[in-house]
Amino acid sequence: MKSIRRVLALASLAVCSVALSGADKELNLFAWSEYVPAKVIEGFTKETGIKVNYETFASGEEMLAKLLAGGAAYDLIQPPDYMAETMIKNGLLAPIDFSRVPNMANLAPEFLRLPHDPAQKFTVPYMAGTVGIVVNTERIKTPIMGYADVFQPRHKNRIVVVNDNRELITWALYVAGGQTNEINAASIAKARPILARWIPLIKVFDSDSPKTALLNGDCDLGIVWSGEAALLYNENKKFVYVLPVEGAHRFVDLMAIPKGAPNPAAATLFIDYVLRPEVSKLISDAFPYTNPNAAARKLLSAEQLANPASYPPGAPVLGAMRAIGKEAAQVDKLVTDLKSAR
Amino acid sequence: MLAPLLIWLLVFVLVPLGILAVFSFCERDEIGRVVFSFTWENYGRVFDATYLMVFARSIGYAALTTGLCVLLGFPVAWFVARCAPALRQRLLLLLMVPFWTSFLIRTYAWITILKSEGLLNSLLLGLGLVSAPLELLYTPFAVVVGLVYTYLPFMILPIYSSAEKVDGALIEAAYDLGCGPFRTFTEIILPLTKPGIYAGVLLVFVPAIGMFAVTDLLGGARVPMLGNVIQNQFFQARDWPFGAALGVVFTLLFAVAYWFLQRRGARPGSFA
Repeated sequence: MKSIRRVLALASLAVCSVALSGADKELNLFAWSEYVPAKVIEGFTKETGIKVNYETFASGEEMLAKLLAGGAAYDLIQPPDYMAETMIKNGLLAPIDFSRVPNMANLAPEFLRLPHDPAQKFTVPYMAGTVGIVVNTERIKTPIMGYADVFQPRHKNRIVVVNDNRELITWALYVAGGQTNEINAASIAKARPILARWIPLIKVFDSDSPKTALLNGDCDLGIVWSGEAALLYNENKKFVYVLPVEGAHRFVDLMAIPKGAPNPAAATLFIDYVLRPEVSKLISDAFPYTNPNAAARKLLSAEQLANPASYPPGAPVLGAMRAIGKEAAQVDKLVTDLKSAR
Repeated sequence: MLAPLLIWLLVFVLVPLGILAVFSFCERDEIGRVVFSFTWENYGRVFDATYLMVFARSIGYAALTTGLCVLLGFPVAWFVARCAPALRQRLLLLLMVPFWTSFLIRTYAWITILKSEGLLNSLLLGLGLVSAPLELLYTPFAVVVGLVYTYLPFMILPIYSSAEKVDGALIEAAYDLGCGPFRTFTEIILPLTKPGIYAGVLLVFVPAIGMFAVTDLLGGARVPMLGNVIQNQFFQARDWPFGAALGVVFTLLFAVAYWFLQRRGARPGSFA
């Protein structure tokens, strides 16, 4: 027993000394999976000597749950806009020292002072995108304009959608003539019969990589993140992206520093690094979402800018999802219920 | 010598279960933080028709998986146990080899096999056995294949350890005394390997109920199972207390199943 105790004491000493010496030299990044290219992280480490620990999540809800559970101290997180709104309201984010982020000037003004952070104190846009329809035009010959065209009985078992209950109910609300954030008992009741018709037609629910089912030929229609759609389009031009006529929304993923972050200085340094045009271009090369960085967009090829999933033609003005409270549980129950009923 | 075991039990079993039990009676605030105020509401929701159906379906899938694992696993375990010792070691090693690769990667391999333009469909089309690709991936069939594949070793190993101990002389004696192969199996082999079968059933049935990765990846997350619903409470709905209540009921279910099997398994000999 004694020797075990000695080993433990030594081990804890070792951990402490590593933690002390490493405080300035490490950055704990908590970000979406498939979103921060290795090249960007390596470049940052090479220039600053700061080691980056990249941990990933698959949904904004998962990110918040892990952050609230504590245990891990993150320096930089990547919340989606509606999640950042909740976090700001609850005092979970630290203000960013913008005097150390000169590259903020590179961002396009349409991505600044958005409703989630009207004073632009807590967040910096990373990438933006939409959720829309991908059509395999070799298999589907009828025109697809919106959700109602996708969810037709003849497309049964040919549809993949993101496994995101909030998205599902929002699409049903659009079809019923509702607004993006109109989620309450009455609208949930209104969406129910629509979703009850749709859910049995869907073959796959997948948020991580919805493009897989389309690439594999298991599905011909998808309602997916625009970045996934852009990758499909790059793979084969038969995958056409359509913004649904009934309604669509834009999401902006952000960079933010959680309150109590051990190394906010390194996080601020990383934010400014990512905002450099040549670095931001690397992100667009790997993950072709909509780049909010105007200076970086100038570096993109004509082909990248012509990808209709990354940069929808006509640049439509779209609303954003806003924070919802406890209704999230009702939405989850509704979808679980309908999935069970099939 | 008992102290390390007790500490282990306390830290890894009792404390987490205690936290789960406490959370299951709590409420939550708007962003999903647990608020310590007493309520029965979470348990009330567990017994809602929606979730009872999920329970029933999960039990059904787990039972089917367990049954198939017994049918497939028993002959394999018996065969390995009856081999010469040197060969036996090699066969056992082969059973372990899949565990050297991540479970997720092995599940993705099944996607490659089962997808529309996948290996199995190419083979069937090439042999002219089917004229159009079969719908295999994202079906209940794929889920059961994935579950059986994942849990089969957990059935084979305990049955093997029982089968290895069966004295060959007993089987010879049964034949000498006029038993046919069928009676030898039901009257000698089955009772002697029962502890292994029961242990295997427990090792397969319980984790199969809670599995969510296979149903997501191979089933396309179309049909929610208990594991998926619990996971959703923590990551999507931000309702930890309700997730905890589901977890507590699930744990109780496991305890009852264990008690039931232990009582039945204990009769012929001791539980392995």
